[in-house]
Amino acid sequence: MKQEALNISNQGEKGLSATKPSKYSEYKRRRKIMLKSQGFITAIILLLAIWSIWGTGFNLLSLFFGTYEILVFIFTDMFPPDLTVIGQLIGPALDTLYMSYVGMVISVVVSLVLGVLAADNLTPHWTIARVSRAVTAFLRSVPAVVWAIILVSGIGLGPLTGTIAIGLSGIGILGKAYAEVLESIDGAQLEGVRATGANWFQVIGQAVWPQFKAGFVSWSLYKLDMNIREAAILGLVGAGGLGYYLQGSINLFQYKEAATAILMIFALILMVEYMTAKIRERII
Amino acid sequence: MMETILEIRQLKKTYPDGTEALKNINLSIKRGEFIVIIGPSGAGKSTFLRSINRLSEPTSGEIIFHGEDIVKANRAKLRKMRRNIGMIFQGFNLVKRLPTVRNVLHGKLGYMSTWKGALGLFNQEEVEEALSILERVGLEDQAFKRADELSGGQQQRVAIARAINQSPSIILADEPIASLDPNSSRVVMDYLQKACQEEGFTTIVNLHQVDFAKEYADRIVGIKNGEIYFDGPVKELSDDVIQSIYAKGKEAMPV
Ligand SMILES: Nc1ncnc2c1ncn2[C@@H]1O[C@H](COP(=O)(O)OP(=O)(O)OP(=O)(O)O)[C@@H](O)[C@H]1O
Ligand SMILES: [Mg+2]
Repeated sequence: MKQEALNISNQGEKGLSATKPSKYSEYKRRRKIMLKSQGFITAIILLLAIWSIWGTGFNLLSLFFGTYEILVFIFTDMFPPDLTVIGQLIGPALDTLYMSYVGMVISVVVSLVLGVLAADNLTPHWTIARVSRAVTAFLRSVPAVVWAIILVSGIGLGPLTGTIAIGLSGIGILGKAYAEVLESIDGAQLEGVRATGANWFQVIGQAVWPQFKAGFVSWSLYKLDMNIREAAILGLVGAGGLGYYLQGSINLFQYKEAATAILMIFALILMVEYMTAKIRERII
Repeated sequence: MMETILEIRQLKKTYPDGTEALKNINLSIKRGEFIVIIGPSGAGKSTFLRSINRLSEPTSGEIIFHGEDIVKANRAKLRKMRRNIGMIFQGFNLVKRLPTVRNVLHGKLGYMSTWKGALGLFNQEEVEEALSILERVGLEDQAFKRADELSGGQQQRVAIARAINQSPSIILADEPIASLDPNSSRVVMDYLQKACQEEGFTTIVNLHQVDFAKEYADRIVGIKNGEIYFDGPVKELSDDVIQSIYAKGKEAMPV
């Protein structure tokens, strides 16, 4: 038997030297296939771009005149913004903040569970990972606005609807992001802790969490940044907050009030981005 | 001699891809022995050590530890047995972003409630014990540094401290010095040896360096092609035997 093993290894070596010249042609062949497929993909992207330019009726002239008309609209109808309504805007602004923040908390909590279950290296079983991934993919495929439209019919108008809509679509994004961060952590460190007799929760707390924390914080804060934008949009379909106010004043042709609401959204976004940047600095 | 602490019978391990890493391992280990396993790359040394605490699941066979079969243990039982087995890895396997002392405290996880352990709620007594163990491996000044700020040799001493903190009866070390320079290697091996003598740990170390093996071992086991090829005290390990362990292909009969 040992003799056999020896023969096999000899053959192996001979085989290697015999194939040496053809290794290069193999390399060339693979390279050619790769270049071909890259060329193919580039061609498809170009075709799609041409098709969509034609499909949307995009042309430079309308862009030019459109810009002109937008400027006229802004400077005659929206300018100057009616700052007297700021008092009325405080409430909706707080609603928008509340929707973004509570929406984030909901998606963080649920995504943590789904993320751990979906990550290949941590899941208790691969079927659970599949199911968890399917759930996040489904939630991700429905935009927050669509969730809001559906929820308005059930829960009614108001910030609660917006909060849940943002929370649901956020799970789709954070669940996937967390799972990917978790899959990239160093398994050797987990093994070191597991070998001491630690159980699953202890390995998660003591070996996974320290490696996961930075990615977790960045992604969650990034989601908060995104939520404040989404929350403003959601108001337009009746889910409360500044967007709802904006919608109301546009419907009544009160463009100078609308301008104030837009400025407020702008300020809110900048404020949240500033704060999340500070928090990120602190924690990471 | 002394009582048998670990009895391995007909241990086999075949990886899912069909590699027969361990063919039929029988080994009886006495309390307090310092065993060094040598053998060529791919012989199955790591697989053997990792089978003992089931980081790698054996395909068949028995591993009797303190009178109980590890192979048959359920999850809860396995964790109890694992806390009694310290493991030291070639790559240290410390949690890099945590302070050194916390890595040592991890040695206590197997004795703690799930939630206290998961949240890292160690009490004063446990922290003081961990600090004193760090002192024993000469790292009292490094206790609050992040583990990855330490040199390789220091990290391996932290790993030894973590294992000591488990109060195990056996220590398994898989190539503990393979990624260290000769000086650090000696320091690490000395600390390992000292800990094992002081605490009476039974120790199984995989080593590539035959000279180190001869220097530290009471008993040497040579593994080749997934089988035990040599088993005896250091003085029986002649140059011929060493050569045939590391030689390729058919050689002298296994013991
Ligand atoms: N996860 C795995 N899947 C498949 N085969 C594996 C796996 N791990 C190890 N092997 C194979 O099992 C055999 C024994 O490997 P093992 O790592 O135990 O050897 P070793 O003696 O520790 O070698 P080295 O001295 O290089 O560390 C080798 O043929 C190896 O390729
Ligand atoms: Mg190995």
